[in-house]
Amino acid sequence: MKVDLTTRIKGLTFKNPITVASGTFGTTDEYGRYVDYKKLGAIITKTITVKPREGNPMPRICETTAGMLNAIGLQNKGLEDFIIHKIPYFKKIGTPLIVSVAGETVQEFAELARVFEKHRDVVSALEVNLSCPNVEAGGVNFMKKQERILEAIKAVRQRTSLTVFAKLSPELGDVLEIAGKVLGEGADGISVTNTLRGMAVDIDSRRSKLAKDFGGLSGPAIKPVALRYVYQVKKEFKVPVIASGGISDVDDALEFLIVGADLLAVGTANFVEPRATLEILEGIKRFCAKQGIKKLDELRGSYRPCGDSKKGCHR
Amino acid sequence: MTKKIFDEKVKILQNVKVNQKYYKLAFASPLLAQKAVPGQFLQIKIGEGNDPYLRRPFSYYRTSGNKVEILYEILGRGTRMLSEKKAGETLKVMGPLGKGFTLTPKGKKRVLVAGGVGVPPLVFLAERHAAAYLLIGTKSKAEVMPKSELKNAKAKILYSTEDGSYGVKGRVTALLEKILKKEDPGKIFIQTCGPKKMMEAVIAIARKYGIDGEASWDENMACGVGACLGCMVETRSGRMRACADGPVFPFKELVIP
Repeated sequence: MKVDLTTRIKGLTFKNPITVASGTFGTTDEYGRYVDYKKLGAIITKTITVKPREGNPMPRICETTAGMLNAIGLQNKGLEDFIIHKIPYFKKIGTPLIVSVAGETVQEFAELARVFEKHRDVVSALEVNLSCPNVEAGGVNFMKKQERILEAIKAVRQRTSLTVFAKLSPELGDVLEIAGKVLGEGADGISVTNTLRGMAVDIDSRRSKLAKDFGGLSGPAIKPVALRYVYQVKKEFKVPVIASGGISDVDDALEFLIVGADLLAVGTANFVEPRATLEILEGIKRFCAKQGIKKLDELRGSYRPCGDSKKGCHR
Repeated sequence: MTKKIFDEKVKILQNVKVNQKYYKLAFASPLLAQKAVPGQFLQIKIGEGNDPYLRRPFSYYRTSGNKVEILYEILGRGTRMLSEKKAGETLKVMGPLGKGFTLTPKGKKRVLVAGGVGVPPLVFLAERHAAAYLLIGTKSKAEVMPKSELKNAKAKILYSTEDGSYGVKGRVTALLEKILKKEDPGKIFIQTCGPKKMMEAVIAIARKYGIDGEASWDENMACGVGACLGCMVETRSGRMRACADGPVFPFKELVIP
């Protein structure tokens, strides 16, 4: 049975809902030997900043229970390099490209939007990274102030008609409240969740296991939290949602679809199973076929809430 | 040329303790065995569930025919779980990964300097290509490899232990300096793998004598294939990825803090 996996978001059409979470799929073709990029619904890039960023010192990675902490620090070669060296690659691939962007200032957010607006032939949407936990100057600390986040989204919106997703995490405060505000400033959709800030201590040296006190927690450990945010954002605002946070296998992916996710961004799982995206995609097809689901939209958002009934969910 | 990387489900042939500290695990896989070069590594998924989640990198200890061996120490939950695996159980293993040691350093005499868990790739190298010396430094006799494990290494093997319980007392770098005083530094090529402090000391000595060489540099890794940027190494050409651009780097490339 052929299953229609087409995913439509505000005039954009994706042949399936599977994409990759920013920063977990390399910069261009690092996973090319494992995954035919043309089979993915979309590709979300590693976050691009205006200026090149060296990122943080080592160690940047530390494994934790069912997940990992990272403090990469948005290492990337900057906007110019991306335009010159990476855009042509993605143009050739043809898979819808969602560029993750982050600015250290509102002006930089504006600049990123202005430049990518000129590459509409390759870029389908922007994912505005408002919640990287690893950047002192431009990340969460600076962004903690809600006004700055809202200014950033406003600046991006003014300079591009590309579809704009705001990438959020609970680091910013109440996710639903902020989602409401960024949507009010013109974001088209929400990408949730970024990593959750955490820490790990070496008991012998009594230092952090990372070169920073904190890192961003990702992987299966954060999945229930991510699932809840996707569900709540979808329910509250009925806007396009890119789901990320511990999607590791087909069952995870299906849970996110059932609570309404539009795109499913596979993240840390890529590090473990380079073919995780395609395996999940095949799994979704199998599940739909088995359940007699002809169109993915029949499954999407089919969650049956508990409601207020005193009887609870299962009666 | 793109090197081929394989992701295989392998059956464990053997998983035994070789001394007080190290375990040896062997499995068969033609694809993972045949093209591997000393200094390259494997990413092993321990267990099928989500905890531990990431794969763990292990350097190749030896390949022969279709058989691959790794040597490891219990350093955390993952390696403890690995040590409990029995022959016949399966593992998911990806490799060969990274760039290995230079195999033909232009007619120079190789001196291999190994410390602690840096021993396996250099034993592998010495088995494949003769070296003048293989210097092995460990904390104590407990980590010294049984002779049967070193019988095919084509090198003069000298030991140092920090506590003097085996070989020369002191650090392996003292052994290295002693050799360099006897030899013509212009004809020596050093290849090293071990704790960072040791490799830094080896590189400092090499610089003092004007000797070229290579070090296998290790950082915590997540993906192992160059995507996550977790394992960066400071080099003269900027930060490079230990997993994909290394782990073996020329001394002259490394920027030692």
